[in-house]
Amino acid sequence: MRSLRFVFVSWKLQFKMIMRSPFDGIGNVIYPLFFATTAFFVFRAGSSPRTLVYASLGAAVMGMWSSVSTSAGSAMQRERWWGTLELLVAAPRHFSLILFPSTLGLATVGIYNLTATLLWGRFAFGIPLTIEHPPLFVLSIVATVLAFAGLGLLFAVSFVRFRAAWVLGNFFEYPVWLICGFLVPLSLLPTWVHPIAWVLAPTWGMNGIRESALGGTPLPDVLLCLGLGAVYVAFAVLVTNRVLDDARARGSLSLT
Amino acid sequence: MTVAGRIFFVGGLTSFRALFYWLTPWIYVPTMLIAPLFQILLFAYIGRSAGLESDEFYLIGNALQYAAIPCLFAMAQAIGGERYQNTLSAILVSPAPRIPLFFGRSLPVVVNGAFVAAFALFTGSLILGVHLPASSLAPLLLVVLIAALSCTGLGLVNAALSLRIRENAVLSNVIFGFLLIFTGANVPLDSLPSWMSTAAQGMPFTHAIEAARQLTAGASLGDVADLLVAELLVGAIYGVAGYALLRWFEVLSRRNASLEHS
Amino acid sequence: MAAIEAERLRRTYRTHTGTIRRRAKEIEAVRGIDFRVPEGELFGLLGPNGAGKTTTIKMLITLLIPTAGTARVLGIDVVKKPQEVRKRIGYVFGGERGVYERLSGYDNLRYFAELYGVPAAEQKRRIEELLELVGLKGREHERAEGYSRGMKQRLHVARGLLHDPEVIFLDEPTIGLDPVGARDVRATIASLTAAGKTVLLTTHYMFEADTLCDRIAVITHGQIVAEGTPADLKRGVAEGTVVEVEVYGVGDETVERVRGLGGVTAVAVEEREQAQVLVVQTRPGAELTQAILGCLDGSDVGRISHREPTLEDAYVALVAR
Repeated sequence: MRSLRFVFVSWKLQFKMIMRSPFDGIGNVIYPLFFATTAFFVFRAGSSPRTLVYASLGAAVMGMWSSVSTSAGSAMQRERWWGTLELLVAAPRHFSLILFPSTLGLATVGIYNLTATLLWGRFAFGIPLTIEHPPLFVLSIVATVLAFAGLGLLFAVSFVRFRAAWVLGNFFEYPVWLICGFLVPLSLLPTWVHPIAWVLAPTWGMNGIRESALGGTPLPDVLLCLGLGAVYVAFAVLVTNRVLDDARARGSLSLT
Repeated sequence: MTVAGRIFFVGGLTSFRALFYWLTPWIYVPTMLIAPLFQILLFAYIGRSAGLESDEFYLIGNALQYAAIPCLFAMAQAIGGERYQNTLSAILVSPAPRIPLFFGRSLPVVVNGAFVAAFALFTGSLILGVHLPASSLAPLLLVVLIAALSCTGLGLVNAALSLRIRENAVLSNVIFGFLLIFTGANVPLDSLPSWMSTAAQGMPFTHAIEAARQLTAGASLGDVADLLVAELLVGAIYGVAGYALLRWFEVLSRRNASLEHS
Repeated sequence: MAAIEAERLRRTYRTHTGTIRRRAKEIEAVRGIDFRVPEGELFGLLGPNGAGKTTTIKMLITLLIPTAGTARVLGIDVVKKPQEVRKRIGYVFGGERGVYERLSGYDNLRYFAELYGVPAAEQKRRIEELLELVGLKGREHERAEGYSRGMKQRLHVARGLLHDPEVIFLDEPTIGLDPVGARDVRATIASLTAAGKTVLLTTHYMFEADTLCDRIAVITHGQIVAEGTPADLKRGVAEGTVVEVEVYGVGDETVERVRGLGGVTAVAVEEREQAQVLVVQTRPGAELTQAILGCLDGSDVGRISHREPTLEDAYVALVAR
């Protein structure tokens, strides 16, 4: 119970910190909008039956992923610069529990990205916003946020080890955009890519969001998304111990 | 070698090394070599998904457009990075002539940018199975070099502006985004609203990308010469503007000490 | 049971030089340290920069794994049961970092209170108490980025005490503070042992160790060269005299010559404003003023004074070896 309370309080404070850095925030929201805009033009000029609404939803989730992928890796770097990383490690809680609210905060900001993309599509490109199952839509978004937080946690923890990895954080943006079915249906991708997509929660989050907006059965997707998120968190917990022991043995915690 | 020449070559290279001590293979390979391939793949598949144009279209567009990353960021770092290390003012009080100084910084950036684009183009063609006609290969390298030159000119403007803005990574990202949409990298110019395709004529890459596409379709270097000249002209204008801005900021900073990182 | 025990603690770092041909280098930061701190004591680890003080403290607070040796806090092994140790210790370090600048002082404390498992019902009271104690009341809702260095330092101290730890580790807590701020922090530290807590303090300020600590260990080049109460350490140099000679630019060979004089136990050169002061410790009974001046023949010499040795001189003599 105390852990849950800690996560809640910490999440609120992390979110506060993220929102208080305006340029980071604006940059984070605007950057994926460029890709969304490009996608809207491409789909509008294209001849496939896939609609602009499809593109709009896909681009919206691309934005949600951006928020996590670019910052989760550098979360650890920021703590190093601030001199707070050691304080976190020296605290009597499991390090992965301490980090989770940060990635959760980042994933929550993704909701701004989602909203901005949908609104941009609506007002700049006239893409209509009709949602078939609103409660399930909301549930899908929440599930995606949680799963992204879990995946972000795995990144953040892994990157404690590699101090230069804050640059690599950007590196995971494109691949997820490509293979998780945001703008490109899985059927168009080579078959060997499919299993990779299936173990990535964003794929199921996207499905859930799309089906609840356009009509379909989002619930299985939502559950898979949450399940995978839980698996990531479990991995992160396991990785944390090894990473921290390594950092403490090398003495790299105090380095920037 | 003349003094100006030394400042241009040796100074440029030394400062490059000093400021890019963080650019190890662990960072260079993913950021400069692998990421553009993913961007190419992403848009090639988006194109297939949307039923627009061909793999070759997106290969050329994105391979060239991605050069903006090294050209913009490296240029901003080459000049603005000094600010963070507080060495900029030491350089500015030196009697070194400014043109070779600032443009000397650009040389490694151009070379790197051209290399990144060329690598993306040729490796991307292998991955996507796009056949580039043998006769077009050498001309394409020329186009790549010209594109990198041109974008580095814009990079100089970006670098100058970055001196005045704290969050300069955002500026570089925004410029990258505009280049993604406007230059015909992913959206054919005639599918864009006319004000956008007009604006694109004043941006780097637009002409180079068109030239590259024509070359792979069988055109000769002579056929695309006017496009290449246009590209160089665009780059030159940005370069001059960037240089002017840097000098102006230098003067301003002497008046109100604003160049050091606060 | 001692509150803190270190036995043959060692810590070696491996670093790499060069980018293309990477050569490994081993640096021994801590080379076999032993000490025990009983409960309720204020123990000082005194030494110059780079002596190994911070490395030692980080091993004790579980941030670094020792290369060899063992350490225990309240009887708990720091390597085998780090979480148990962390619950019972507080860690405060000097300087401006270690604070979340985008949050207010209050929110910083709220976060760490939650992190350290301070029961919800007590948090508010505890935070208010500590804000009062460190003198930040009234400024706690401002963003920490607007705090002065001294205020950030005091916020640190408050943070370290949130969960009421039994053992508190302070790493150069007054570094960079103005005299008034430093005095306030010292007063707070002194009150901690009064409340029954055990405190381990690292510092390179001799007078700070002298005034605050019950016992001091002098550490240099990764080893403890002396240990005892401030009085014990002073006794080491109590007899004998210190000759201070004001000089204007003295070369290394001259200093060596003075050092080589019979009866000289230590020589140090202090920079002061326009001139340097040659501080020469001499054995009891030795009358060396003329001999010293002889070595300085040719250099400009200002005032000469004699005084009794202080703890500072004891320290200089110890770390100069």
